[in-house]
Amino acid sequence: MSASIRLTSRPLSLAAAIRSLEGSGLGGVTVFAGRVRPDAAPRGRVVALVYDVHRAPALRRLKEIARTAERRFGAGRVVLWHRTGRLAVGEVAVVVGAACGHRAPAFAAARYLIEELKASVPIWKTERARSGRPRPRRRARRAGRSTG
Amino acid sequence: MPKGSVTVLLFGPAREAVGRGAVDWPVDRDGVEARDLVRSLGERYPSLAPTLRASRFVRNGEYLTGLSARLRAGDEFAVHPPYGGG
Repeated sequence: MSASIRLTSRPLSLAAAIRSLEGSGLGGVTVFAGRVRPDAAPRGRVVALVYDVHRAPALRRLKEIARTAERRFGAGRVVLWHRTGRLAVGEVAVVVGAACGHRAPAFAAARYLIEELKASVPIWKTERARSGRPRPRRRARRAGRSTG
Repeated sequence: MPKGSVTVLLFGPAREAVGRGAVDWPVDRDGVEARDLVRSLGERYPSLAPTLRASRFVRNGEYLTGLSARLRAGDEFAVHPPYGGG
């Protein structure tokens, strides 16, 4: 199994993610991307998110997630990419992808990848609203909002 | 007398509450129990206290399962509020 894992301040390319998921016999490819949304904020509207990461434990956990995707869904290739730093509304914050033999495990693997990433990888985001005041997003709000 | 310091790493809401991403916490040669350090952090930075109650803690890259661990000079102690990637 091949896993591409990135925590980067550089923009994420969906085309590059799809290329990373190419492989012989991998007929089902699913890619998910999450973009920063202009959610309502108490003092206006979100204009950016700032992402923090604790890099060493985050990378370790991402590798564990990739290995589980291989074992559980038979993923032949996996992409787990996340941006760091300040992202404006509309920018891609996260890209996950899985390539499997068929579509059903590819969809299931991609769903597993994004849900595990959000729940168990030490990454945090803080909103910047139009006023410029920081407002950390709380867990309860994150479940259905922010990106994706 | 302090013999060194523990580096406290702060992320996300913890960083916002304190205003910076790291704090050097002086300790003596016996170090400090994680529980006492967490309590002291909450006293020094009252706006951090609610976040501390919801956080996990990591010493030198390893998650702590309790707060009885002893932290020594040179250790890195990270505050992990609930995660929020994606």
